[in-house]
Amino acid sequence: MNNESKFRKIIEKYPTNHTPFYARPNFSRRNFFNLAGAGVMGSFLSKNLNGQVIKSSPVQTKNTAKNVIFILLAGAPSHTDTFDFKFLDGTTPKDFNPTMMGKALWPMGLMPNIGSQLGEVAIVRSVRAWAAAHSLSQTWVQIGRSPTAALGDIAPNIGSIVAAEKRGERQLSQKFPTFLALNSGNAMGSGYLPANYEPFKMSPSTAGLPNTANPDGQVRFEDKFNLLNAVDGNLRVNSPISEQMNDYGDFYRSAKGLMYNPTVDKAFKYSTTDSMRYGNSGFGNALLTAKQVLEANQGTRYIQVTVGGWDMHSNIYGLNGARTGPMGGLYTMAMGQLDPAVGELIKDMKANGSLKETLIVMMGEFGRTVGQVTMQGGRDHYLQQFCMFAGGGVKGGKVIGETDTAGRVTIDPGWSEGRDVRVEDIEATIYSALGINWTNIRYDDPFGRGFEYVPSANEGLYKPIHELWA
Amino acid sequence: MQSKLLFIIGGVLTSLSVWGQSAHQQDVLAVEHADCSYFGKDRAAFSEAGLNARGRQRFALSTLTESVMREMGSASGPEVSNFVPGGSRTYGQQATGSSASTIDSNIYGVLKAQNIQPAVKSNDYEFIRRVTLDLTGKVPQVARVKAFIADSSADKRAKYVDELLVSDAWVDKWTQYFGDQFKNTERVTFNGLVRYANGREAFYDYIKSALVTKKPYDQIARELISAEGGNSWDQGELNWILAGRVINGPAQDTYDQMASNVAETFLGMSQLNCVMCHNGRGHLDTLSLWGKSATRMDAWGMSAFFAPTNMALVRPDPTVNNSPYYWNVTSTRGRTYALNTTTGNRPSRAPVGTLNAVVPKYPFGGVAAVPASTLNLRQAAAAAVTSDFQFARASVNYMWKEFFSRGLVDPVKMFDPARLDPDNPPPAPWTLQPSNAKLLKELAQDFVNSGYDLKALQRQIVNSDTYQMSSRYDGVWNPSWEPLHARKLVRRLWAEEIIDAVAQTSGLPTSYTFGVDSTDPKKVLRVDWAMQLPSPNLRSGDIAGLMDSFFRGDRDENDRRPDGSDLQALSMMNSTFVTNRTKSAATGQSISLVRQNITLSDDELINTLFLTVLSRLPNDAERTSSTVALKSGNRLTAAENLTWALYNKVDFLINY
Repeated sequence: MNNESKFRKIIEKYPTNHTPFYARPNFSRRNFFNLAGAGVMGSFLSKNLNGQVIKSSPVQTKNTAKNVIFILLAGAPSHTDTFDFKFLDGTTPKDFNPTMMGKALWPMGLMPNIGSQLGEVAIVRSVRAWAAAHSLSQTWVQIGRSPTAALGDIAPNIGSIVAAEKRGERQLSQKFPTFLALNSGNAMGSGYLPANYEPFKMSPSTAGLPNTANPDGQVRFEDKFNLLNAVDGNLRVNSPISEQMNDYGDFYRSAKGLMYNPTVDKAFKYSTTDSMRYGNSGFGNALLTAKQVLEANQGTRYIQVTVGGWDMHSNIYGLNGARTGPMGGLYTMAMGQLDPAVGELIKDMKANGSLKETLIVMMGEFGRTVGQVTMQGGRDHYLQQFCMFAGGGVKGGKVIGETDTAGRVTIDPGWSEGRDVRVEDIEATIYSALGINWTNIRYDDPFGRGFEYVPSANEGLYKPIHELWA
Repeated sequence: MQSKLLFIIGGVLTSLSVWGQSAHQQDVLAVEHADCSYFGKDRAAFSEAGLNARGRQRFALSTLTESVMREMGSASGPEVSNFVPGGSRTYGQQATGSSASTIDSNIYGVLKAQNIQPAVKSNDYEFIRRVTLDLTGKVPQVARVKAFIADSSADKRAKYVDELLVSDAWVDKWTQYFGDQFKNTERVTFNGLVRYANGREAFYDYIKSALVTKKPYDQIARELISAEGGNSWDQGELNWILAGRVINGPAQDTYDQMASNVAETFLGMSQLNCVMCHNGRGHLDTLSLWGKSATRMDAWGMSAFFAPTNMALVRPDPTVNNSPYYWNVTSTRGRTYALNTTTGNRPSRAPVGTLNAVVPKYPFGGVAAVPASTLNLRQAAAAAVTSDFQFARASVNYMWKEFFSRGLVDPVKMFDPARLDPDNPPPAPWTLQPSNAKLLKELAQDFVNSGYDLKALQRQIVNSDTYQMSSRYDGVWNPSWEPLHARKLVRRLWAEEIIDAVAQTSGLPTSYTFGVDSTDPKKVLRVDWAMQLPSPNLRSGDIAGLMDSFFRGDRDENDRRPDGSDLQALSMMNSTFVTNRTKSAATGQSISLVRQNITLSDDELINTLFLTVLSRLPNDAERTSSTVALKSGNRLTAAENLTWALYNKVDFLINY
């Protein structure tokens, strides 16, 4: 395919992050020697320009979003049953009720709530994953590069980079973690960046943020805390390997700031009515919490929400495509969880005005096989996939890219690069939306190789999908 | 799940599941090295390497030590008498280091030559807490602290060390440590290996029994490297080599990974993995003098030892689909490492001249050639590794790091064999890699002479004046002295140590249920101490959350990390695991610390709480604040609050 081969040509021309590292000329390292003027010593390089971005291209970021909600559909949802919907007679259940919603054929029977919000939603259908192995690809999506490439496995989560970039914008009065990960126990961490950019992981519950109330009550807690200060002084330093010496006193102060804080409770506790409205699921509660946390305006900028259950190798529709017998996976996940939660999130955020400053990005780690279902009544792993955007300045009611009739491959990339959209492009899009130069290279990585926010973005290999704003 | 895994490697589509009819040839780029530990999953170790190499971060441990010690009171001046109230017979003593001692003669020798004043000797309170935590992962019982302080015999420290070395808690801690070292888990993410709870338990039992029976460490290494047998659930040692099994590629990928695992675990040389893919030249030039000229053929020589290895899964109940399975490991005589691959996880392997297969050859030299007829070539590899002096060097260096917070070669997995020998230093601009090359050499030799006795090595370490130095420092401290060990460096306790210290000192121990037997779900797996957990697999609930907040790692994708975080503060302040244990309470036979002692006088109560939780008496300021608290309001409530505060004190979380 033409666009793909064009892309391959670029990759051949810039053989950096896509050729295996062993085949890659190590020119970036040599470049770095020149830049830093470091001598060759019997050790690692020792003269790094700590934390400084010492290379970036002049780019125009969109800078229309303040926050990001990144939703990872772990297990990889079927694109042709959802955001790249294809109706295949005899296979697709009739009650999916295919309906033209603006430019998109939409399964209104499956996802009516999201369907009614499509005016706010931009769907990219020309997305293609690099690999179809779950853990590898889930990591890829979160760090925006191959986990196995150079620096791949010390690469921070995109949210950690955002937290590092936005650190200066935090107000003293803001108490919440910059990077929050909800229902994301396995979320990628801060990589080589210090622990203060780690995702703050929690699972929402009606009780709110765990351990933010002392079992003995607030009055007594204050007594205890005063006593602690009296017997422990105020010099409490820990964390031998962080960017700034993290002060145990700081941890305690910041932790205390989260306790007995009506703002915390308002953001992290929720009513059963709201929870029901969001679909009464762990995922729904996470999106509800995400909305409330951003409403609180307490310094949280990036929220990752993970929802598993999409690895539907069997019984994707239910028995013979009919909704008799065991409930098909799509009914449980797409109709039961995804639709109410995402639909309500967009609706609520539109109503309170936060949608225009919050970019919602939703994708799986890859897609699923197309056409007829397998012998097991499911769909297997597949590279073609979708990515959904909403808010944060992105124009809704849009579909970018087009696949062939079956949904196998991209036939129209639908954007300026004229090729498939890759995870790295989506990463660049997130940075651009937040006003972060996606071509930045930090020279504080442990190897002194230069950590690129988006791999090879300086060479123009990956670009934001700015068509989303057009 | 595993049967559904689908990988696309090198443009070739491989599916373990039934591929949908609609599948079509997918054009993708090759998946890169899923198994390269250098850029791969050992991220934390290598991050640390880089961070250590950066001037700003290099002496962070020393900065941490200084901060904590400032909090604790300096080594001289009026605070001292407050901090060390009576009973300390050794405090203030300036140790000079015995010239007869391998460790002290080398450490103090360098300090003297550079005119650096070493820290004074630790006092008895510092020592007993430090050494008990380091050797057993526990804090000392209060009665033992008192007896130790009261003991006036000259050799009481050495006698106490011997007492610890024969304790059950010693076995628990070092079983946990070697579980980390050998990465004992139920499953391995990158290659999809499943050992099941039964395999993990068997491996745990193997490690524990090796420690109980004082199995020499070289023998442990040989057994793990050469293990053969029919059932990984019965024969724990089979589980180590399995971790080298690589899928989605030719068998050579597996042989390479096994050889890489051996080099990393037993030789402290993770960069052999790099050379499995490409010659060192152009890649390792600035990192390793050895690696600079190492070739792929050198590395394959090591891999070829593993070529006869077979691993097969066996389902005890084949009639049940997807029932749990164990592994057998066997050897096929004569199978060679062929140079004939074009796909997989590593670059192609092509014949070199007329050479179509690689002859097993130990790449680091210095050991006898291997007879080609050896049935289990891995036995030959094991013999080569354990007879290499580098094995002893790497082993003592790993151990050194546990007691001194940094290795003599640091990071501990980045040995450069060409820069180790003090009698044969490398050409300029290279420098000797160890911070004290002579010490590393002599300590390794002592380890060899002891018959690779782990306890003897630990005894030698903790009995040294170097280990017994105070972490406090008189005068002006220069952070660049950190690698010279001019003072003791502090460390944050492991998650397990914190949990167990709370459970033990509060008088309210508990037990931990962490799963069920793989074949008998009614058989619940339970232990009494967090340190006894066979792997970090207790994953839910209050206690798991508490332990996770201290970054205990998972032996798989995440290493242990010493960082702090506000989640730690929230957990310690508010988790019911901690707060319940600060109460005047009784459960079953157990009576809480506060309840046991509430009838004591204020002074005695305060002393007891401090001695129990922190293994030391309060200084004047602490005593005053504590007394004020006890005298105001409800005394019982105040005692509970004080106990809570002690668990949240910085010196509770840190071994100093």
